[in-house]
Amino acid sequence: MSEFEPTIVAFFCNWCTYTAADLAGTSRLSYPPNIKIIRVMCSGMVDPKYVVKAFLNGADGVLIGGCWPGDCHYINGNLKARRRVALVTEILKQFGIGEDRFWLRWIAASEGNMLQEIAKDMIEKLRELGPSPMKGRMVA
Amino acid sequence: MSERIGFYICHCGINIAYRVRVKEVAEYVATLPNVTVARDYLFMCSDPGQELIEKDIREHKLTRVVVASCSPRMHEKTFRGACQRAGLNPYRAFHMVCVREHVSWVTEDGDEATKKAKLLVGAGIMRVVHQSELTPATFPVCTNTLVVGGGIAGMQASLDIAKAGFKVYLVERQPTVGGHMLQYDKTFPTLDCAACIGTPKMVSVGQESNIELLSYSEVEDVSGFIGNFKVKVRQKSRYVEDNCTGCSECEKACPVEFPNEWDVGTKMRKAVYRPFPQAVPITYCIDKYDRAPCVQTCPAGTNVQGYIALVKLGRYQEAVKLIMERIPLPGTLGRICPAPCEKECRRAEVDSALAIRDLKRFAADQVDLSELPLPEIEDRPEKIAIIGSGPAGLSVAYYLRLKGYKVTIFEALDKLGGMLRVGIPDYRLPIDVLDREIDYLLKHGIEVRTGVRFGPGLSLADLREDGYSAVFLGIGAHDSIWMHIPGEDKTEGVIDAVGFLRVVNLGSRDLPGNRVIVIGGGNVAIDAARVVKRLGAEKVTVVYRRSEREMPAYPEEIEGAKEEGIEFSYLTAPASIQSQDGKVTGLECIRTELGRPDASGRQRPVPVEGSEFVIPCDAVIPAIGQKIDVTWIEEKSELELTSRNTFRVNPHTLQTNISDVFAAGDAVTGPATVIEAVAAGHKAVAAIHRFINGEDLDQYVEEQAAKEPPGSDWQEISKDVENAPRVVSEHLDPIQRVNSFDEVDRSFSEEAAKNEAARCVDCGGCCECKLCVSACEAKAINHGMEDKVKEIEVGSIIVATGFDPLDPTPMEQYGYGKYSNVFTNLEFERLSNATGPTSGKLLKRDPTDPLKFTDPPKRVAIIHCIGSRDQKYHEYCSRTCCMYALKYAHLLKDKCGHDTEVYNFYIDMRCFGKGYEEFYKRVQMEGVRMIRGKPSRVEEKDGTLIVKAEDTLSARIVEVPVDMVILCTAMEARPDANEVSRIFGITTGHDGFFQEEHPKLEPVSTPTSGVFLAGACQGPKDIPDTVAQAKGAAAEALALSASGRVEVPPIISWIDPDVCIGCQACIGLCAYSAIEFNELKGISQVNEAVCKGCGSCAGHCPSGAAKIRHFTDKQVFAEIDGLLAKAS
Repeated sequence: MSEFEPTIVAFFCNWCTYTAADLAGTSRLSYPPNIKIIRVMCSGMVDPKYVVKAFLNGADGVLIGGCWPGDCHYINGNLKARRRVALVTEILKQFGIGEDRFWLRWIAASEGNMLQEIAKDMIEKLRELGPSPMKGRMVA
Repeated sequence: MSERIGFYICHCGINIAYRVRVKEVAEYVATLPNVTVARDYLFMCSDPGQELIEKDIREHKLTRVVVASCSPRMHEKTFRGACQRAGLNPYRAFHMVCVREHVSWVTEDGDEATKKAKLLVGAGIMRVVHQSELTPATFPVCTNTLVVGGGIAGMQASLDIAKAGFKVYLVERQPTVGGHMLQYDKTFPTLDCAACIGTPKMVSVGQESNIELLSYSEVEDVSGFIGNFKVKVRQKSRYVEDNCTGCSECEKACPVEFPNEWDVGTKMRKAVYRPFPQAVPITYCIDKYDRAPCVQTCPAGTNVQGYIALVKLGRYQEAVKLIMERIPLPGTLGRICPAPCEKECRRAEVDSALAIRDLKRFAADQVDLSELPLPEIEDRPEKIAIIGSGPAGLSVAYYLRLKGYKVTIFEALDKLGGMLRVGIPDYRLPIDVLDREIDYLLKHGIEVRTGVRFGPGLSLADLREDGYSAVFLGIGAHDSIWMHIPGEDKTEGVIDAVGFLRVVNLGSRDLPGNRVIVIGGGNVAIDAARVVKRLGAEKVTVVYRRSEREMPAYPEEIEGAKEEGIEFSYLTAPASIQSQDGKVTGLECIRTELGRPDASGRQRPVPVEGSEFVIPCDAVIPAIGQKIDVTWIEEKSELELTSRNTFRVNPHTLQTNISDVFAAGDAVTGPATVIEAVAAGHKAVAAIHRFINGEDLDQYVEEQAAKEPPGSDWQEISKDVENAPRVVSEHLDPIQRVNSFDEVDRSFSEEAAKNEAARCVDCGGCCECKLCVSACEAKAINHGMEDKVKEIEVGSIIVATGFDPLDPTPMEQYGYGKYSNVFTNLEFERLSNATGPTSGKLLKRDPTDPLKFTDPPKRVAIIHCIGSRDQKYHEYCSRTCCMYALKYAHLLKDKCGHDTEVYNFYIDMRCFGKGYEEFYKRVQMEGVRMIRGKPSRVEEKDGTLIVKAEDTLSARIVEVPVDMVILCTAMEARPDANEVSRIFGITTGHDGFFQEEHPKLEPVSTPTSGVFLAGACQGPKDIPDTVAQAKGAAAEALALSASGRVEVPPIISWIDPDVCIGCQACIGLCAYSAIEFNELKGISQVNEAVCKGCGSCAGHCPSGAAKIRHFTDKQVFAEIDGLLAKAS
């Protein structure tokens, strides 16, 4: 059997992290293809059900990327995301999804290299953890 | 109607196609449900590419379009346009998938890239069918533009916009526009003078009617959106009104000096200043920080920094006048004030605190009060009675008199002064000093009635009957507290300290005994002991129950007493007084040790059992405290007293329970300091004045209680301040002292006083001595000016906040700050500039005086790339240094002679602009030596600087001796760039400069529509590039103003009224207050004009009623489904 390849759904805010992903591309900073980006306007709009949905559908990890505190294009949406993530993490744990599978990271528009590093780190971590326990229990 | 989707994947030349097999992706998409056409094309964004989409929409009746190409941040708008032209609603019909930045450019393997592209595209196809029709709202555009920063970029942009007929607000943080360019001397490569081309721009900015110049101002807050921004601008107070004529008389008068920022510290400026003579506006500006800590600490609020500055100038009369604004008795307080100010003096951070009290005394001693002119007082009809003439009474009398009231002082004794006269011995406060000062106060028209004691001879009713509108009680605390030990009563030789000091101060010279014991540790005890010694006692012992450390008396008093041979018995408590035939023979004492701290924080003395012993003596003077004489008040008056038998007053107004009676001083606080009594006097004056004018005292109390504590934003202490010891005044010899009541402290010489005053570090900036006020003929100076916050409306904003030169101090290897002739580029520009410290001469700095310049250098090294192209500082190239270094080389040859040796140490020469390479050639022809290699060190040897470097072209190490080194420092982002970026909603790049929207195609735009960038705040650039970008930014702003309308994306929130349960959680979350609660319907509603579309509400809404358009659950879920579908 070939090595386990995790799948990550990433919700990136339009202003910082999505732009950082663009910059990583422009700078040709390659990273594994496992990470699939969904563009959102702000990390603060990521509804907990999107996260749950991604795990239910078989994602091995979910990454939310937002602006650094203080740099939010919408004043403080990222801080709301941070609060919500703390809460969702607690709930996910009860379903057997550990906090290592659900990451919130601040990546500024100029930090293409950081995006590359975080993508690599997360994939590495998920490879260690193996497939998400949700996968086997999916309801069709 | 079933959906008909068109799919297009772009090759982007080969950018996508070299990794992603685009044809395979198109073929895969063609198999997906609802897909009608799926194509690939070389450049989808090109005209034929867009044409292809439009044609397909029409011919195949497409309902939806998905394009997979570059990032939607790049071309989403382009393709939305194509859909719209073909008749589809772009928000409903179009979705874009990024397969370049997020796939082909970051994935190394072709198979992987193709697989990822298929997944992303699949998700897009699933998403697009759930999108709904949205129409952007259009808003009118306010045609005003805000330009932030008045450097060459800001000035140019403002002038261009103003010329087109639109209004510009130009906000500049400095007191003048001009910016860095105006600090320079010549400009490369044409060598035209920066001032010659810059000052006309400044003048135009000042004169152009469409430009409203807000100098010395900062933008505090920006709200709103493109075309409709609301901006708050703080106009910092200049303390000089606009009618300033720029005559510079104030500057000549000002006693406070600082290094001039404009000249990067190579020259001094005054606290009232303008950066340079051609400043626009020409209006002067006064530099104020928070009031100096000495001023804040003084209970009476004396302007310490002010009178110290006046002493420095030898303006003693002005100094005394300034002191007397808050202290009626300058010579008195100059002698006996505990000087809490000195404890807070920041000079102590350098060496030691200023001798503030001694300087006050010195100033007072220089002025003959009888010659001081009296102010004109506008008389008022109201009469006020002052009971008691101590420091509190005198202060209240004097300051109320200055307000015009008819004031009468009633004093129980024959002479005025209260405790100042009867409590403080003459060797500390000579009686003639006090007399002169009291006489001067009385000359203002204060009536005095002595020998009248409040109580038996004078009641409140009497005073009211005599027409007094208010009564101030400052009766002091003149009764001693007794120890209540056996033998204290009725034994001859036991004398209370206050009574003893009173008789001596009133002239008695009777010796109470030869061996005298004084009991207590306060100033009264020490005073009594020193007085007894002067009266001729053989042996004087001070008995104190704690140790010296806990003694409340001033250390200098204790020291003086010791010098005079007074003995101290610490940890000794009196137990009983022994007597024979009714006369004192000794004091029985008991040893104590220090136990737990008591309420005062001092350790409590605990008697040691069995340690009793007797000190033989023939007089005992208990000095353990004073109290007010309340016998009469307790019996006859309704005045309320506290448990400590002091008057009960409101702490803010000092009003007693009887509304027209106010009280202060020791009678309220118990025994305290003179300066506290003076301070309380001021409070009482303010309250009495309000009381008489019928103002609401309760409201005043609230105002006082709500006052913010003073800040501590003080002028930084310059690194150049050298250690200078505090001047110590001469003291009378101890042997001489004990034989007379002559003053012990002999003050100091005028020179010493001026030197001491010059040690002041001017914490508060301007010292508010007000010399400028009298110097200003135009009456333009207004020290009471306050910051103003101006609210303006603009449609577009141009940020042109510039750069800062790097500070090379941390690079110790180049010796900047250590060797006096290592200069930064900006310092060299100032040297070369005609308005600089040398009037344009290039001179070496005197090693002993950083502000003195001597003779021209013969050998100069110019070191490039200081902090640029250096991984430890900035990786980027600062783009201007090579060229200005060549300019310096030319100027040195030109101004210092062609035989001057000039060495340029460079890494690479970057002469890329128009005429730059030619200039490089010319400078080389002038004989400037170019050495390729960055120096490793600059060292000084026998007064010569040695530059060590590797000449990488000849591969040898060189050591070049020079007289002067110029460091070409990097241009870096301003230290507050991050805060500024937050205010304007823009971002900074990894280099710290503001990030443009696109490095090639949107060089002046930012993520916030309507906010544009110009000049070096976006990245290092030279003047031509800066001006060009400024014109670009102006064009963007003008385009917006000229079109008059702006479209705002419809991606905003919406709350489903059928689902909302009215919990209002979203209202608290909305950072823009865009959600309101509809009480009638019991639901929350979005104000669409205010909503920015962040989706915080949608992400949180517990009932799922709040949604964000274009990012609905269905759309996002479909995208997730697509991304996690089994890859094909």
